[in-house]
Amino acid sequence: MKLDERDACDPDRIEAYLADAMDRDEEASMVQHLEWCVDCRARMDRVAAAEETWDSARTYLIDDDHDSVQLSGLLDSDTARDSCTWEPCSSDAQVTSVLGTLSPTDDPQMLGRLGPYEVSGVIGAGGMGVVLKGQDPALDRVVAIKILAPHLATSGAARRRFAREAKAAAAVLHPNVMPIHGVMNGGPLPYLVMPYMRGASLQKRIDDSGPLAPIEILRVGSQIASGLAAAHTLGLVHRDIKPANIMLADGLEQVAITDFGLARAVDDATMTRSGVIAGTPQYMSPEQACGEAIDARSDLFSLGSLIYAMCTGRSPFRAETSFGVLRRITDESPRPIREINSEIPAWLCHLVNRLHEKNPQTRMQSAREVEQFLNQCMAHLEQPGSCNLPATLLADEREDPGKPAKTRQGLAAIVGVILVAILLSVVPLPRGVREMGPDSAFQIEPPLEDEMEIVEEAPVSEQRSEAIQVPKSFESLWAELDEDLESLDESIPQIDLLEAELNSVVPNLNPMDRPFTPGEE
Amino acid sequence: MAEAPETRESLLIRLSDPSDRDAWDTFVSIYRPLVYRIARLRGVQDADAQDLAQRVLLSVSKSISDWTPRPGSRFRHWIARIAKNAAINALQRQPRDRARGGSGYAAALGSVEQQSIEQLYELEYRRQVYRRAAEIVRNRADEKTWLAFSLTMVDGLSVDQVAERLAMPPGSVYAARSRMVRRLRDQVQILQDQSENRSPRQVGDARHEA
Repeated sequence: MKLDERDACDPDRIEAYLADAMDRDEEASMVQHLEWCVDCRARMDRVAAAEETWDSARTYLIDDDHDSVQLSGLLDSDTARDSCTWEPCSSDAQVTSVLGTLSPTDDPQMLGRLGPYEVSGVIGAGGMGVVLKGQDPALDRVVAIKILAPHLATSGAARRRFAREAKAAAAVLHPNVMPIHGVMNGGPLPYLVMPYMRGASLQKRIDDSGPLAPIEILRVGSQIASGLAAAHTLGLVHRDIKPANIMLADGLEQVAITDFGLARAVDDATMTRSGVIAGTPQYMSPEQACGEAIDARSDLFSLGSLIYAMCTGRSPFRAETSFGVLRRITDESPRPIREINSEIPAWLCHLVNRLHEKNPQTRMQSAREVEQFLNQCMAHLEQPGSCNLPATLLADEREDPGKPAKTRQGLAAIVGVILVAILLSVVPLPRGVREMGPDSAFQIEPPLEDEMEIVEEAPVSEQRSEAIQVPKSFESLWAELDEDLESLDESIPQIDLLEAELNSVVPNLNPMDRPFTPGEE
Repeated sequence: MAEAPETRESLLIRLSDPSDRDAWDTFVSIYRPLVYRIARLRGVQDADAQDLAQRVLLSVSKSISDWTPRPGSRFRHWIARIAKNAAINALQRQPRDRARGGSGYAAALGSVEQQSIEQLYELEYRRQVYRRAAEIVRNRADEKTWLAFSLTMVDGLSVDQVAERLAMPPGSVYAARSRMVRRLRDQVQILQDQSENRSPRQVGDARHEA
């Protein structure tokens, strides 16, 4: 083809150009032709698409406040275009891009500065963002700084959500919830500041050494339940309880739940972008999987899955795709724990089953209840002779769940939590006291069977009977406990503190669990 | 276009294939922002609108198992109808007073009847298809070609301004823009086929799907 022919107007060539059917040279000459041929410009517009399409594009592609994806070309050319802005990127790229946002520092030992913090290293990177190690110069302490991933920080809504959830989480003050020192939403990337904790996540622990021993499972589970109870009291639901969000320090002695509420902020951001749920939904509850409204009991289902993972070394609901996992969560029971790990006691499997009830109504109802159960199980494992298991677990095992058993469970659970509170957390007991033998003053006998039956025969309606019998039996236990405490007076110097602590616990108990006072009846 | 042969496949068949969730993703990529935006336009708060959109989509995903293939009935029509019903029901359950708050536009929409929600739904569906299509076109185009299109069409700059900004001759801006519009048109067609919003009768298409 000669040059003048190439430069002539030719509708067929326009169509070929638009359909990507030209080679490089042909394309170059087509573009060259358009530099001067106004007719062909108009012709090309007409051939490219109908007028309606052009109009629709001009109307619909203009961004407004509610669009999660911005199509404006100004954004792309005015801000440095970063691959992270469009696609979730690999951890390395994420770290590099986060480190690129740091301000320079005078300290040659440091990587850079973020707000008031000197950044000394990278702790890790994950779905949500990058965690840096830093130094807080004002308070001279080491901190962990969690920075929202660049691809999540692009929308204003995601940033606000991040800040809001972090602030809510900062209100939870509990030894088993990772505290939040500060939240920063103003800079290029929002971040939050937490204490630096030496240790690994429960996920890593499971990956490295497989299933945990039953006593370890109870110890970790009870601390998580305790942290959840504190957050639930404030109306906060975690929404993403899973082993990766549990930090372990000092072996298993100190357990902290991280990322309270942040799951939701991140989900919203990624779902808006990609339309699918971020990460793995393996620990979701059925109500989460169905997209129904969720409450604190959703966390309890996830806790059940987490305990299952500690028992077996793997998550309960597994499938190749996210949708497969969701379907299994809503429709199927996981493989029985003891088929995978026969060393797990049957009663612990029963506990997991009670957390894994698909219907939140039939599930265990509160984290506090779960904590009490686990504590009682722990006492039983440590001193099987003198501490009984929660009766409902035994009843399940005998497949004979009777009313008396339920009553005893309520009582025993209270005794259990007080006992364990004394033993473990209320006061720093001398080691000798903690390791007392079975005949220690801490031992509390479970209520006698005939005592239960007497109460059961009281001439009141069934509903009333439960409300009355508990305080009555509790009264005797409380008296016993009182005696026990008095006899300990000499061995524990902090007995006053202990008493104060117990008294502060009592008002928080369910009214029917409080020590009986005649005036109340 | 790369995905042309795949567009006739029903979402159901592809969803049951664990290795391929593309079709579902297409559906979700359009309907999620669709529900979210309508909720926002009706004065619902960001977080609540997000929740609402998520609830609608997951309830749709849950009902996929209810679908039984029948002659003359196509999955994409069925799922679009389910989604529309779920969305409109959910949107109508939003408290009225909330719908009346917000900007002037949202406030004006606060008193709309059911008919108007459906009209809004149709309009927003169309808008969402175009935006999703544009996003796909953008991801597959080289940066300058895309910018020649978006700066003129979305940001309203003149061809000469854009030519100067991108340091390319005006003829190239015209060529690039037209090419993007053509791809947009084709992509819109593909997405409409994959996420059909109209009822089968309106479409007038009763072909069987294998």
